[in-house]
Amino acid sequence: MCKDVNEYLAKLKKELAGCDPALIQDALSDAEGHLRMALDEVLSDKPSLSEPEAVVPIIEKYGSPKEIASAYRAIESRTSPALAVSRTKEMRSFWARFFGVLAEPKAWGAFFYMLLSLVTGIVFGGWAILAGIISLCTLVFIIGIPLVGLFLLSIRGIALLEGRIVEALLGIRMPNRPLFLDANLSWKEMFMVLIKESLTWKSLLYAALQFPLGLIYSLGIFLLFALSLSFIGSPLLELVFHLPLELFGPEAFTPVWLLPFVSIAGFFLLPLTFHLARWVGKVHGKYAKSMLVRA
Amino acid sequence: MAYTADANKKFQKELNSGSASLVLLSILAHADEPMYGYRIAKLMEVDDESVPMMKQGALYPVLRSLESSRLLESYVDPSVSGPPRRYYKITKSGLETLKTWTKIWSQTKAFVDGILEGKTDV
Repeated sequence: MCKDVNEYLAKLKKELAGCDPALIQDALSDAEGHLRMALDEVLSDKPSLSEPEAVVPIIEKYGSPKEIASAYRAIESRTSPALAVSRTKEMRSFWARFFGVLAEPKAWGAFFYMLLSLVTGIVFGGWAILAGIISLCTLVFIIGIPLVGLFLLSIRGIALLEGRIVEALLGIRMPNRPLFLDANLSWKEMFMVLIKESLTWKSLLYAALQFPLGLIYSLGIFLLFALSLSFIGSPLLELVFHLPLELFGPEAFTPVWLLPFVSIAGFFLLPLTFHLARWVGKVHGKYAKSMLVRA
Repeated sequence: MAYTADANKKFQKELNSGSASLVLLSILAHADEPMYGYRIAKLMEVDDESVPMMKQGALYPVLRSLESSRLLESYVDPSVSGPPRRYYKITKSGLETLKTWTKIWSQTKAFVDGILEGKTDV
């Protein structure tokens, strides 16, 4: 029997091996949404229960990974072949997949996430580092303790907000649970919960690391995007507007015979940029989930 | 005894596979507003010790299948307080299908009830 939602999802994924990736995604998101909602409900009714105690009867009602996988498989086998083919992305040729990335919402989401990370990185990282140092310094005074508490609370707020951004732009499910499961905690107990939960410290580390990561992501993706566009438009830029690309040094124009090749290179660099964005989005989404979601 | 329990389970499962779509269409036809899977599952919960109609998780593939047949439509609401919820509502074609299926169900039910009551002229 599974002891937590993540274990259940891993088993369900294993049981669905070989199915259409879209169906696996649907099954996992249905299960995760249901189980977490049920868990939140049970834990808010009975805060004294531990997560494994609460989750076992919920999973019993939901159905074992094997049962649920077979229910999804049965539906898949009933889907008309015409519909099934349209869901299979892998049937497309290499070039269709290569250039098709420009039409993928996931790639655009990751692209905008990387651009936006300049702002979120500076704000979140800056706050984590500066406010962290200031509140640590105030610890020598009695007022320092509530200040540290407020600072840690703000970090959890940042984690929640970043989770929403990651979910919206990178499409990674970032389930969140109430910060304090027991609503009747005293201030002191709330402070202790914040200090004891590893999620607080992981969120702090995440926010601080967003500073360098955000700079790398946004500048990197902006540079590649700008380079792709200027390569594509190089004949226009150099021959019509007389703006040198400076590929061969300062103020240097590209030889005219080379311009078509530079332009073609731009057409390849643009989808490559989006493939990179999609990949970074995928990896960053997993990293964010491991740092910002309560296990 | 174990064999009987297994046989009961299998019988229930076979019955459910046909009736689940009808039940879900009917629930959504009577709902005043779009509903998400967890709420539908809670509505279908049974209080007594009898075998529940189906595992809650088995509702979701049926909902997805009804949606792909355009009998239902759905949208996702990114809830602030919890995981995003997929809300389902019945379509016009779903309502028409429900009418036909209800008729078929009534005929089947009358036939089976008749047989169970020992009537042979059903």
